[in-house]
Amino acid sequence: MKAIKRRIKSVGSTKQITKAMQLVASSKLRKAKVRAEQARPYFNELYRTMCEIASGKNIQTVFTEKREVKHKLFIVVAGDRGLAGGYNSNVLKMAAAAHKDDAEKPKIIAIGRKAVEYFAKRGYDMAASYANIAENIKPNTAQDIANIAVNMFTSGEVDEVDVFYTMFVSSMSQQPQSMSVLPMSTTELEDTVEMDYDPSPEAVFNRIVPRFTASLIQCAVVESYASEQGARRTAMENATDNADAMTESLSLLYNRARQASITTEIIDIVSGASAQG
Amino acid sequence: MTPFKLQIITPEKTFFDGEVEQVIARTTVGDVGILKGHEPYCAALGVGQMRVMVNGEFRRAATSGGIIKVLKDRTTILVQTCEWAEDIDVTRANAAKEAAEARKKSAADDKELALAEAKLQRALNRIDTASFIK
Repeated sequence: MKAIKRRIKSVGSTKQITKAMQLVASSKLRKAKVRAEQARPYFNELYRTMCEIASGKNIQTVFTEKREVKHKLFIVVAGDRGLAGGYNSNVLKMAAAAHKDDAEKPKIIAIGRKAVEYFAKRGYDMAASYANIAENIKPNTAQDIANIAVNMFTSGEVDEVDVFYTMFVSSMSQQPQSMSVLPMSTTELEDTVEMDYDPSPEAVFNRIVPRFTASLIQCAVVESYASEQGARRTAMENATDNADAMTESLSLLYNRARQASITTEIIDIVSGASAQG
Repeated sequence: MTPFKLQIITPEKTFFDGEVEQVIARTTVGDVGILKGHEPYCAALGVGQMRVMVNGEFRRAATSGGIIKVLKDRTTILVQTCEWAEDIDVTRANAAKEAAEARKKSAADDKELALAEAKLQRALNRIDTASFIK
């Protein structure tokens, strides 16, 4: 009986913790959602501009050139903390699965402490690692990361750059995603205006690519961060519900044990009394 | 001067959205001034200052690279960062400048040096922009 009572108490305090984490995650989720939405117009407009330049002009630059892929660079965005359900493992597994047929392990830029730990432990070649930046990523940080990736691509160190992140579908559902960044692929646009490019379409295009890469990283990070909070909130909600169910079944058990002990006591007394009388 | 629609968008938010009479921005090949009716034009912007005329008065802002796109009905400026001159925290900019200088000195390879140099340029640009106020 004492043991059951102790269990109830410990489940109760665990529940308090998960409940608190759930509340923190939902308030962070709200902020992260706003940030993810605000990051989109910039990204969309940049992408559009790039497509406009590429449309019909048949631009050939180092960024659009498809080379034989010998070395890859993966930029993987995961969380800084655990306890977020499958959030971290889903995206990490996806990145791991994406190169299992390749002869060589990809180079890695890891964003988020969990990603850094995962790839460092498994002996990947880390081009760069960033921990604890997701909550408050600055455009300049994203640009630094992008510059590393772009330089590796232009110098021929890698022939392909992919980003792995978690897409925020809704508060309840998050989807790990991969996206190819370099070489650049653009879609043809239907209605483009004749535009003057200063100094030349190629030059503007080449200036935009690093910006675009940075913006993509920024979007991937804020989106992943929103997903992380969503995943954590759901996980903690489930944990809280489980704790409730557990307390309920434990108190049932406790009450039964208590009644049983009372009954035994009464029987003891009654049988003692009847033996005397 | 006839006003036209201008949008300044950064990765963090839509920084400015409204009617302006003139924009002067620093492209990679020099300053360009945009008035209403400018032909469609697109150029890359470097780290530098931008001036926007609203109600006959210029407002100055520090920007750190991006593009400017002029269409018939609107102009869009996409920049990494954008700050009005009056909003710049000079103490912070100075601190950033010193940090960048220190990093430049201790840079181990070209990559780090380039990063530090870029940081330094941005800090200097912000200090310079802020100096036009008061």
